[in-house]
Amino acid sequence: MRLVRSSLRKLVRRPASWVTAGLIAALLLLVYLGIGATVNTLPTTGPRAVGRVALLNILTFPGAYDGVATQLLDLGGLFGLAFAAAVAGSEWGWGTLKAAVARGESRSRYMLGSVGALVLAAGLAMVVVYGVGIGAAVLGASLAGVSLTGLSDAATIGGLPGTLLHVWLGLAEEIAVGFAVATLTRSQLAGVGAGIALFFGEQFATLILPDVVKYLPFNAASAVVERANLAAGGSPAALPPDQATLVTAIWLVAALALVAGATERAEIGS
Amino acid sequence: MTTALAVHGLRKAYGSRIALDGLDLEVPTGTVYGFLGPNGAGKTTTMRLLVGLIRPDAGTLEVLGRPYTWHDRHRLFDVGALIETPSFYPFLSGRENLRAAAATGAPVARGRVDALLTMVGLRERAGDKVGGYSLGMKQRLGIAAALLSDPSLLLLDEPANGLDPGGIAGMRDALRALAAAGKTVLVSSHILPEVQQLADVVGIVAKGRLVREGRVEELLEASAVVRVKVSQEASAGAQAALAPRFGAEAVKLSMAGDGTWLEIHTAGSRSAEVNQVLAQAGVYASRLEPGSDLESLFLELTGEGSADGGLGIGGVA
Repeated sequence: MRLVRSSLRKLVRRPASWVTAGLIAALLLLVYLGIGATVNTLPTTGPRAVGRVALLNILTFPGAYDGVATQLLDLGGLFGLAFAAAVAGSEWGWGTLKAAVARGESRSRYMLGSVGALVLAAGLAMVVVYGVGIGAAVLGASLAGVSLTGLSDAATIGGLPGTLLHVWLGLAEEIAVGFAVATLTRSQLAGVGAGIALFFGEQFATLILPDVVKYLPFNAASAVVERANLAAGGSPAALPPDQATLVTAIWLVAALALVAGATERAEIGS
Repeated sequence: MTTALAVHGLRKAYGSRIALDGLDLEVPTGTVYGFLGPNGAGKTTTMRLLVGLIRPDAGTLEVLGRPYTWHDRHRLFDVGALIETPSFYPFLSGRENLRAAAATGAPVARGRVDALLTMVGLRERAGDKVGGYSLGMKQRLGIAAALLSDPSLLLLDEPANGLDPGGIAGMRDALRALAAAGKTVLVSSHILPEVQQLADVVGIVAKGRLVREGRVEELLEASAVVRVKVSQEASAGAQAALAPRFGAEAVKLSMAGDGTWLEIHTAGSRSAEVNQVLAQAGVYASRLEPGSDLESLFLELTGEGSADGGLGIGGVA
């Protein structure tokens, strides 16, 4: 536990932690306020009216609760992946892993402790940023003149902990994958680059091999929550949430095993 | 005398490059051991092997009297190390970095972090981010980190890097005090005077092998030299007069920038005898300096030329 506590303290003191969470919150604000401010400029009739309706749905509660969760999963996944890769890569680049190993610390425990702290920090940040996102959706809805009667929908609010737990699982898996990639590359820059390349590579591959790619880590993670419609980022070939949850958990464990195995076997040079 | 660290037949290659080629070392308990060698001799590779960062291809290691392999990480709880450059998080302060290090490996006593910050002279800057530290300050912090668990065996790789003269003197005193308290300190360096002043025992490595090991006094005696400055015209006569008494091979003529010098490889205690022989031959020296030429011995043993910048200072003591 002292390793996780220590890693958490490091994350709190790391400027990039706050920048990452702040960027996700700012993007959510931008998306919802942007929609709220512009949706009513779209025509109410004609082909573009369909888009207007879809955007209004994004701002309409109780559906907006899940909408914010999926936006958070998508943005948080990419940023979380890059941030985790930077954290893992810096352990190699700055020589801090080397120093810990030289003090007799278990290599795998040290690295898994770092992932654990990242996942915990991501959970805390997720709750705060989700709150910001809901606030942004409320503001956006107000700007667009959308009714807020669904805001107090008891059934949706009751299901929120479960939804957020699923989002957290998705984020944890993407963080673990980013961490594993940087552990293999042993570099901050290469880890971030390779992680982002994998992320977008998987998205592009969806176009040609949807039935295979839906089982891959980022697609599975993004399918752990129910998506109301395609405008919220849903894919027709995505796994159903229950199945996606199982596949995501498997990828999470696999990524952690890769981190532990690669670190244990590595010869730590400079 | 017990052995704190023993290495036998240690081999390590990085691809086709052989870093260690059957290295043997024995570090007596309670001594400061100077691990001396030119750049690329295998000093850092040895250090990495000793703390389990890399695996040996062959050979055995004994740490604090018991066999050690790279899986025996708990054995390192009693070892403190500073390998290569100090490793810290630049966004954390010096104190926070030591606390982060203390969360790994062996448990660290309460108050130890602040005591060490005081010891290395960083107490006033302990709250500043390490990213803003000078190289010397990082080095001091690295030494503090190596001492966190109050280890019985301390491995320091080029610890004087970046330290100012005051810092070097302070480090020397601190390491001597640790050895006096029964701890063992292995210091790798390529700077001869530093090791000469600090170490009890010296091991010289070259091309991955130990080429000489012994107490500093023994090595200094083996490399003892009396240097005599004479006029150029008198140099041949002086050499002829000294050769029968000290041996022709022991008397060498060298032309330095400041004149002609004769180097007589003999103990400093025979300086008066040298002077007497010269006077009897009618040669009068303008300077006479007893000392030792550890640098020459080092260069001879390691097969290094004088191009190594680290050897260019203070070879004659």
